[in-house]
Amino acid sequence: MTRPLDASRRGAGPYLWRFTPMERVLHALVIVSFLGLVITGLPLRFSYAPWARTLIRLVGGLQAAGSIHRICALITFGYFFAHIAHLTYRLLHTTDKLGIFWGPNSMVPQPKDVRDVVQMFKWFLGRGPQPQFDRFSYMEKFDYWGVFWGVAIIGTSGLFLWFPEFFARIFPGWVFNVATIIHGDEALLALSFIFTIHFFNVHLRPEKFPIDTVIFTGRATTEYIKEEHPLQYERLQREGKTEALVAPPASDAAYLWSVIFGFTSLGLGILMIVLVLWAFLH
Amino acid sequence: MLAWLPWLLAAAALPVGAPALAQGSQVVVCEKCHGNRDFITGRVGAGHDSALYVPAAVLEDTRHRGLRCTECHRGFEAGYPHQVTAKVVPCQTCHESEGRDWTASIHAANAAATGDAPTCVRCHGTHRVYGAADRQSPTHPLNVAALCGSCHADARIIGTYFSAADKAQARTAVMQYFQTVHGTALTRDGLVVSATCNDCHGAHKVLPADSAASSVNRANIPRTCGACHVGVAEVFEHSAHGAKGPRMQADTLRRPVCTDCHTAHAIVRADQPQWQLSVVEECGSCHEKVYETYFETYHGQVTRLGSGLAAKCSDCHTAHSMLPASALGSSVFPGNRLATCRKCHAGANENFARYYAHGDPTQRAKYPLLFWPWLFMTALLVGVMGFFLLHTALWLTRLAINRVRARHAPTGASA
Repeated sequence: MTRPLDASRRGAGPYLWRFTPMERVLHALVIVSFLGLVITGLPLRFSYAPWARTLIRLVGGLQAAGSIHRICALITFGYFFAHIAHLTYRLLHTTDKLGIFWGPNSMVPQPKDVRDVVQMFKWFLGRGPQPQFDRFSYMEKFDYWGVFWGVAIIGTSGLFLWFPEFFARIFPGWVFNVATIIHGDEALLALSFIFTIHFFNVHLRPEKFPIDTVIFTGRATTEYIKEEHPLQYERLQREGKTEALVAPPASDAAYLWSVIFGFTSLGLGILMIVLVLWAFLH
Repeated sequence: MLAWLPWLLAAAALPVGAPALAQGSQVVVCEKCHGNRDFITGRVGAGHDSALYVPAAVLEDTRHRGLRCTECHRGFEAGYPHQVTAKVVPCQTCHESEGRDWTASIHAANAAATGDAPTCVRCHGTHRVYGAADRQSPTHPLNVAALCGSCHADARIIGTYFSAADKAQARTAVMQYFQTVHGTALTRDGLVVSATCNDCHGAHKVLPADSAASSVNRANIPRTCGACHVGVAEVFEHSAHGAKGPRMQADTLRRPVCTDCHTAHAIVRADQPQWQLSVVEECGSCHEKVYETYFETYHGQVTRLGSGLAAKCSDCHTAHSMLPASALGSSVFPGNRLATCRKCHAGANENFARYYAHGDPTQRAKYPLLFWPWLFMTALLVGVMGFFLLHTALWLTRLAINRVRARHAPTGASA
């Protein structure tokens, strides 16, 4: 089967593993739960918009929307703590404990990321070459920490709004006003960022258009790694670790499902952006 | 003592017996012709006979039982046929106050001007005057809406007699009434105490709403509805909106009255979600600022989406006895607020009740605790999105420039 839509299949060379099954499953859960949260939460944030009631009707009414929102919230807490647990497990069992917090395999922002941002803008303005990324670019790290911060802050404020009587035992009444502000605005930031910036960075820019299934199938061609993460490729070659990462091509079924799931998610996300813009212009 | 008894009985019998005798003889006289259908038809033809064929028995089960024909029909001389100047005694000769009320009504004015408006007999009938309590009377509660509707659902009547402003409502009023809680209580539940036309508009003194004397004039609405809804009228009149309340004494025209929320002819049960949302709009038509802030809260958001569960204006402020938060008896007075919250949030405590139900984070002076988080979140949103949208725009521009250059540069030449 030819796979013309898939950016992760560009060029030649054997496939290399990029994401573990754990990471792929967690990311799929992020997609499903986040879309569920946005679709059922957006009508409240923009209750005055002409589409708000229609969207609520489509998901089965207010009661159903409330239930879906809370179920997706539970999924969110689930993947959040699953990731924390996995990190803890890795920390306890790996010999390279420092590598989790520093170095090319760490998600922690490092001086090179700051230099990469500066270099990227220099390249934008025609004053230097494009920065070369290792395993994770500053954009991917920003996405990661954006979800981390977002889940923590939206999740906490959401729990306050879910169980106000419980939290009022400790906190004064105005925290629920603050929770409403934070929950809505941070959610608006999250969806605005993910459905425009994240979509552009990983799927819609010319090198990736129209979709990159690497997060679903977990693998991309050597050519892809060389172009998107040249420093990682050089490092792997230097350290002789490339062979260990060679992966078989994803099955046709995996490719098909990745594309269907990916396009559905992209479409829903972009639709949400259209709805937000519609509400702002209304 | 017993010796007096026959005298007493005779004295008591005399005044009753004498008129009865006289009436009997008079009825017999009229009955000779008007009780004989064949005779009447022979004299006036089949077209007029039903009006003139009036057997004495027709009054038997009416409120006018015992009246003599000549008590209403006067002004003709003896002899047959009667003079055409024969007159019917005006009903208000006996029914004084009803006559006075009708004379003051729009019906009387139109009847005098055009003859095209109901007089007594149009609603009460001629000989068969039963009284409103009688099921067969057109003025029985179960029949009134049909009676009034016989003219007021008529496009010609509405087109001729209603002002331009009132026409729209007049066209739908009767049909709408039958859908209302008042109308269905009558037609479906057979409940005669439910309000029908005359309960609000008056039976005799029917006047357009813009007339100050009208029972449906804004100023009189609370009293009119309060005639049945006594308990509601009591608390309403002492509420912030009431005539005896702390706010509205000087401004009676601006205050809301029953019909502003409940409407005049489209009244529905207060537990209908669609209606509840319309009441929120109604409150908002005066209370603009709190209306806006309400829709910034979860309560307002889900209400606007059609929820019947989340708190609406009346759930916190009450439906009829609302008072300013500074008033001791107010449901939102600080000391009463917790009890109000607990109507829905059973586990609420004092902290909970200090939630700002109308908090506005943009008002820094009034809500500093909300202002700073709001400013931070707004700055974060604008900052992050601004930075990355610029990032994306520049990126796309750079890719476009590079593509154009690659196309135009000779192969192998440096860019």
